Amino acid sequence: MINYRRQFLVRYGMPLLFLLMLGLPFILSRFHLRLMTEAIIYSLYAVSYNLLLGYAGLLSFGHAMFFGVGAFFTAITIKHTAGMPFLGVVALATLFTTLVGLTVGVLLLRVKGTPFALLTLAFNALFFAVGTKWHSLTGGDDGLSLAPPPIDLGFMMVNTTQGVNIYYITLLLVGLAIAFCWYFTKTAMGQSVLLMRENEERMRFLGYNTNVTRLILFTFTGAMAGLAGSFYALFNAFVSLDAVSLDMTTKVLLMTFIGGAGNFAGPVLGSFFYTYVQDFLSDLTDNWPLIMGLLFIGMVLFAPGGLSGLIRDMADKFTRRTNKEE
Amino acid sequence: MIEVAVFFLHGLAYAGLLFLVSSGLTLVFGMMNVLNFAHAAFYMLGAYFAYSMLQMTGSFWLCLAISPIMLLLLGAVVERLLLRKVHVLGHVHELLLTFGLAYIIQEAVKWIWGTNPQAMTVTGFLADTIKVFGITYPVYRLFVFGVSVILGLFMALVLFKTRIGIIVRAAVDDSSMVSALGINVPFVFMGVFAVGAALSGLAGVTAGPLLSVFPGMAGAILVDAFVVIVVGGMGSLGGAVLASFIIGELQSFGVLLFPKFSLALIYMLMALVLILKPEGLFGEKQ
Repeated sequence: MINYRRQFLVRYGMPLLFLLMLGLPFILSRFHLRLMTEAIIYSLYAVSYNLLLGYAGLLSFGHAMFFGVGAFFTAITIKHTAGMPFLGVVALATLFTTLVGLTVGVLLLRVKGTPFALLTLAFNALFFAVGTKWHSLTGGDDGLSLAPPPIDLGFMMVNTTQGVNIYYITLLLVGLAIAFCWYFTKTAMGQSVLLMRENEERMRFLGYNTNVTRLILFTFTGAMAGLAGSFYALFNAFVSLDAVSLDMTTKVLLMTFIGGAGNFAGPVLGSFFYTYVQDFLSDLTDNWPLIMGLLFIGMVLFAPGGLSGLIRDMADKFTRRTNKEE
Repeated sequence: MIEVAVFFLHGLAYAGLLFLVSSGLTLVFGMMNVLNFAHAAFYMLGAYFAYSMLQMTGSFWLCLAISPIMLLLLGAVVERLLLRKVHVLGHVHELLLTFGLAYIIQEAVKWIWGTNPQAMTVTGFLADTIKVFGITYPVYRLFVFGVSVILGLFMALVLFKTRIGIIVRAAVDDSSMVSALGINVPFVFMGVFAVGAALSGLAGVTAGPLLSVFPGMAGAILVDAFVVIVVGGMGSLGGAVLASFIIGELQSFGVLLFPKFSLALIYMLMALVLILKPEGLFGEKQ
């Protein structure tokens, strides 16, 4: 029954949502459209993180290193090469983050569990330190501003600095990347990740090399975070060290966990929730991170399924009468 | 030559501080299998408590005594009310909880004490200088090292020579057997966590006059302390001693020899240990 409902949601709900979002620029103000774009970018970031945490059970405190590398690579490429096309920059940034993910993954995945969590944090700090010190490349504390290149469609040039345009581009491309992540979870590779989380010993027994599976997943999530980072840079036309900081890691943790790490849609929900609640709270008080932190702890303690878990529980409660035999 | 001696002493002082921080971290990890991400936040809280107390009373020795006790109580409360609750949900949730706690403490500190660095000044002989190896050197830095040595010896004595130590070590190996012998195991774990928090408080008070008190101090020490316990071997007290010494001196001489890359040195050491001996110098194989 539940599976049925979810299939229904995926088949009709997702395209419907996409159509709805296509119409948003006609309704929303420029400011809210920016928030929406940001939330979509964070969605990909959080979805990629959830593939690690929710699907593979790997707790990482270093996801911002990929996000930051993607963002900085984008800014640096645009700064040093003239006439690089928009999509070329994004593709290169993603490719580069893939390589970084592979290299870091080889080192980090030598350990598991708590030591892994600790080392991801240490590596994140290393990336931040490199960003701070390598002033000539990253601009250090000043950050880098960039001019997002226009997209040449052959018959027209699309200006990517305009709010509406970047919204549509983000919706389309980042939306595609999120859909690809969803597709990934349905492939044999994605399913073997779940199997690895549930019973790694058995999986090895069946002849799988779990170390390779883990490395591929880690690299893939890194690449997706890098893609999100690249869009983040293009969207803001600016990158600062914030993109690679521990705060950015904390952000993805909060978004993923508040939304719910147990299922695919949770982090998307969490990103939108986080972006909008932050906007709302920061008007009221400077101490909004404190409230966000309390919310996070509350979720960890009382609702480990996050918001999406709460919604599902509620939906189950309402439909209980119809599927008693379950 | 004199310069080398000075940097060696600087390294010792920092090594002492690192050991003060990482000893509690490694104790809690070794005994409870929980990596406390909030440990550095506790350390910062200890420093801020001491700062406020020093403002009120003017006695550093009082701070040194009271601040760890306050952290002991806080640690006990956190373990009893929060950590124990998520224990059944598994490791990931325990880590997430302590991580969230660190975040909240960080924000609360900014809210209560503001973001400006505050100086903690000690008086009396601690503020003096002393002649060692023919150089004049501040007493306080040596005091930090002294505190860490005394603490290290005390911890080793309690853990390996007393009944309490035997119970704690046994509770890690086989908690159901220990509980069958009539020992309140959850209480033992609460005690261990509280002591870990108290140690971070002690480290915080000691660090205050050395580094001054600021909201970034938790983040500044956290990674170094993590590197110490990775290099030394997670959960190993002896490893923490050796790794603190290596990293303290590495930091100190790194600044002298390669000022540009001093920050990268400890990460290189960590990467090296990971490649050659992933379980750390004194760690047990997983």
